[in-house]
Amino acid sequence: MKSLLEYMGIEPGRYQTAWISGSEGTKFQEVMKKLVDDVTALGPNRKLRYAK
Amino acid sequence: MREITNQIKDIARKLFEEKKIDMFLAWEKSEFDFQSMPFFARSAEEVEKIIFDEFSVHNLSNALLRFRDGKQRIGIVVKGCDSRGIVRLLEDHQFTRDRLYIVGVCCPGMKDPLKAFRNESGFEKTANADLEADKCNDCIQPNPVIYDVLLGEEQPPRMQGERFKKVKEIEAMTPDERYAFFEDKLSTCIRCYACRQACVACNCRTCIFDESRPQWVGREANTSDNMMYHIIRASHMTGRCIECGECERVCPVHIPLMLLNQKLIKDVDSFFGPFDAGLKYEEGAKPPLSQYRENDPDDFL
Repeated sequence: MKSLLEYMGIEPGRYQTAWISGSEGTKFQEVMKKLVDDVTALGPNRKLRYAK
Repeated sequence: MREITNQIKDIARKLFEEKKIDMFLAWEKSEFDFQSMPFFARSAEEVEKIIFDEFSVHNLSNALLRFRDGKQRIGIVVKGCDSRGIVRLLEDHQFTRDRLYIVGVCCPGMKDPLKAFRNESGFEKTANADLEADKCNDCIQPNPVIYDVLLGEEQPPRMQGERFKKVKEIEAMTPDERYAFFEDKLSTCIRCYACRQACVACNCRTCIFDESRPQWVGREANTSDNMMYHIIRASHMTGRCIECGECERVCPVHIPLMLLNQKLIKDVDSFFGPFDAGLKYEEGAKPPLSQYRENDPDDFL
């Protein structure tokens, strides 16, 4: 899925997946922080959004 | 070809006389020379209409899906790619092997009726036109992998050069170039769903794109909904696509759909070890995406 989205032109880093157990609170925090940082760096998404 | 047609007729006639099958799936000639169409013979008399020629491009294994709930015993003619479709249906438990009598034909490569039609139209007529179907150029398995009888001589794979060459070319572009490329191709989609109907791997009874409650994907034919449709359909084909190329052939607006499917074939191959859908049938064997292994890579999601 990730590789297909990137293949179709979505920037690497915009779509991320991670396996996090319900007991892994710190991991969740780390992953979310990284995700927010990555996406903020990429800026707003304009792809797949135009209803032409 | 004529010889193979006669052999197929003999086999079908014999099967009907021995009452081993209720139906025989093959092709018949249509109005024009370059049109063969799928034909379901239901009696020994109807067998006479059967034909197998260079325009028998259709993947008949798809037609089996109509009979998956019935009890009919079915004889079917398959080429290399179609036989992989049958293996997929058996692996997905959509059909049982004992209801099938499979006549395998080693495929020398088919011609594209549409190209022939254009060539005959009077505007573009050329004497030595290349009528070869595009889907046959990337063929890696022209010989049936599952059959009860095998006809014709074994053929070498038709694919020339490196596999996934076009996919690698696109992978080498920047994300924005890739997006522009696919946006351009997919914006022409008219959402006729011909690719879905022609696909043997598309065997869900209720299709996500038909559901209206909830409506997962917008039905408008606009660029972003089209892209969502093709992303979802392609990802559903992961590990299922048998590279018969029917989706691309039936597409009325010529979207290069095999570029998406081949990308996923390449990914499944690299993530889950050497694998090509439907190349081998073993009772009880499961394709990689139907089973869990501890060493499955995390990245595939």
